[in-house]
Amino acid sequence: MRGVGIAGPFRALRRRTARRRVVLAGFLAVVGPGVITGFAGNEAGGVTTYSSVGALFGFSLLWLLLIASIGLGVIQEMCSRMGLVTGQGLSDLIRERFGVRWTVLAMIVLIIANGTNVVAEFAGIAASVELLGVPRIVSVPIATLAVWSLVVFFSYRFVERVLFVLVLAFLAYPISVFILRPDWPVVMSGFIPSIPTSPSALVFALALVGTTITPYLLFYMQASVVDKGVDRQSTAYARVDVFLGAALAGLFAFFIIVVTGTVLHPAGIQVTSAEAAAQALVPLAGARAGLLFAVGLCGASLLGAVVMPLSTSYAICEAFGWESGISKNFREAPVFMSLFTLLLVVGAVVVLIPGISLIPLIISAQIANGVLLPIVLVFILRLASDRRLMGDAANGRLATVLGWGIAGIAGSLSIAYLVASFLA
Amino acid sequence: MDFLKALSLEEAMLRAQALASACRLDEGSAFTAGLIHDIGRLVLATYYPRQLEAAIADAQLPQEALRLSRDLMDKQVVDTHGAKVVRVNDLQLSEVDGQLRLVGADVGLRGLLRRVGAEGLAERVVGLAGQKLPRGIIPWHLVEPLAAQDANVRVTVPRTKLALLHPADIADIVEEMTVDDRRAVFEQLDIETAAETLSEIEPEMQASIVSDLEQERAADILDEMAPDEAADLLQDLPEERREELVDLMEKDEAADVEELLAYPEDSAGGIMTTDLIALPAQLTAAAAIDKLRELQPDAELTYYLYVVDSQGRLDGVISLRDLVVTKPDTPISEVMDRNVLKVDATSPKEEVASLIAKYNLLALPVVDARRKLLGTVTIDDVVDIMLPRGWRKRSLRSIAR
Repeated sequence: MRGVGIAGPFRALRRRTARRRVVLAGFLAVVGPGVITGFAGNEAGGVTTYSSVGALFGFSLLWLLLIASIGLGVIQEMCSRMGLVTGQGLSDLIRERFGVRWTVLAMIVLIIANGTNVVAEFAGIAASVELLGVPRIVSVPIATLAVWSLVVFFSYRFVERVLFVLVLAFLAYPISVFILRPDWPVVMSGFIPSIPTSPSALVFALALVGTTITPYLLFYMQASVVDKGVDRQSTAYARVDVFLGAALAGLFAFFIIVVTGTVLHPAGIQVTSAEAAAQALVPLAGARAGLLFAVGLCGASLLGAVVMPLSTSYAICEAFGWESGISKNFREAPVFMSLFTLLLVVGAVVVLIPGISLIPLIISAQIANGVLLPIVLVFILRLASDRRLMGDAANGRLATVLGWGIAGIAGSLSIAYLVASFLA
Repeated sequence: MDFLKALSLEEAMLRAQALASACRLDEGSAFTAGLIHDIGRLVLATYYPRQLEAAIADAQLPQEALRLSRDLMDKQVVDTHGAKVVRVNDLQLSEVDGQLRLVGADVGLRGLLRRVGAEGLAERVVGLAGQKLPRGIIPWHLVEPLAAQDANVRVTVPRTKLALLHPADIADIVEEMTVDDRRAVFEQLDIETAAETLSEIEPEMQASIVSDLEQERAADILDEMAPDEAADLLQDLPEERREELVDLMEKDEAADVEELLAYPEDSAGGIMTTDLIALPAQLTAAAAIDKLRELQPDAELTYYLYVVDSQGRLDGVISLRDLVVTKPDTPISEVMDRNVLKVDATSPKEEVASLIAKYNLLALPVVDARRKLLGTVTIDDVVDIMLPRGWRKRSLRSIAR
């Protein structure tokens, strides 16, 4: 392809001016995978769980939220670091380091956790649209078809942008806090660890941890870092990005709990339906509270319904070396496309089971995630402290202690839950 | 894998015998020393016989040797026949002339099931339906292992098989690799193949590959690329890095690239290449052919020969066929086609694409406001614009951003 230099003599003597570039807004320039993932955590499960926790327990579980958010930061940082150092995704590393059997276990865990999450997302879609008076038998099939075809035939990025805008409706929570003027000393007292006596506390504690540190987020985080190809010098920047993302996610959850703890808890309203959850926004939006909540929940759920099946299919095909990619068809990437389609269909069908109540369904999904989280954490901790894999970037003492601390808390919660439900 | 176990046991016995005979030779004073020296080994051999054996065997292998379990099992390799990256589920060994040889990599479902111990069961289930489990074994001579994943010891396997593939296939493979493997490939390919491969890779990844490479090598590869492609790539790099690379490039190439960089990315000027043949109008047909003989241009440059005046303004176009059939002493300005379709450097690229599509052109000349010939947009530069969206590659990459 060597050029023929004959154009030389006729070349315009033009000074080079840097080609104009679409300059990204300052905000987008600092946003990395960490912050994006922090946003992605605000799906149907998160909003519903935080609302329920605030309504049931007031501020008394805030201390657990703080621990979970720190845990999210610590674990996400490990995933981001692994992505940077190895250039490989999480399931890739699990496969190469632990072999087929462990990979099968990890992938079964991931499928169950993410599958229940997809169900939760569809439940979120159904619940939000029912708030506006559309029955789920109409909304869910349409949403399924729309999500499938948007992802397969259009650009994912465009869909993502639109949905992000809808999710902004949830800014109503931080704004509500300023209107409500909660009693701050009382709110802050929630950060003092105390074990609530209510029997459902254990269940909701597990759901809270499960929805804050969702196994799916950890895989998604590492994949984003790998795909972004952030270079190794920027580990300091990546770390800031990850912690910022975790802090934002935690802060958002904090606002929801404060609002629901102020509005719903004293009134004794339990979050058994989307209407009840929307009541928390009445002081801000009055009669429009339902609409506001519905828009936010619908956006968040759709976003989850798009991202979750996709990232699950990618992770699983990556682990087993199957062809993947959304631009491929069923013949080129059979497992990938079937998995993606199946997850969507199963999610939709479960929600359409007659008489199934949506909010408990969403909470159960978060419990399932909480139960399975420790298994994923052990894989991550073993990988991130492996010197052969990570070299000097392996977990230091602090990361190890914090990481196993989080895994210990998550593990004991999930064992306690399993034992309790077995006894009951 | 059972083969491997048997192999290491057999080796263990052989080595023990060798050790014993060596000891007998070293009787006397060396005996005590040898005994003490071997106490540590004795302890290890008693309590951790298999680990010790493995450690000894491993230490005896050269650093660059390919370890079956460390470097191949569960790892990604390149199937050079199918031109894609696949994962090794199992290895096929067979005995050739009394030696155990690696004959193939199992990348299919069967290997996967065997590893979880479900091959027999699955076979029976599938057998009930009158089907057979498909085999997914790639013969070893078609497998290209990727570099060992080890942060401390980076073993680079020369990728001779990879280099023989078509650059477009190499590009597909490289896109699925990890950052390190990608860099290793570009460090090993010859410059020409590297340049062609890089042109085929999706834009965002091009920039990251070039950033990872050593400056000198990156500049060499850019020199070898078509100027428009090099300019597009440089466009995605940070300003500072871009200037460093342009400085390292050859003077002619750097000047071409710099000129292209001055145009907006989605204008005719931004997608054109400065690779073209422009013949002065006063040349005779014979002189023009001599000129071509001297330049030895690539085939795709000879489809359209542009004719320019002394100021470099585009006067017409002439085909190679016309040039050849014209009487040698006729000036080319008499036989050229004056009615030449051209676009302004600032025209949007969609307009260029639709002109090329409408008139079935292979290339379209680009001129400035004073009709000065600047470059040409070839059909391969606009083919992406004409293709429907779904044809362009999408992957998790586009999701994550």
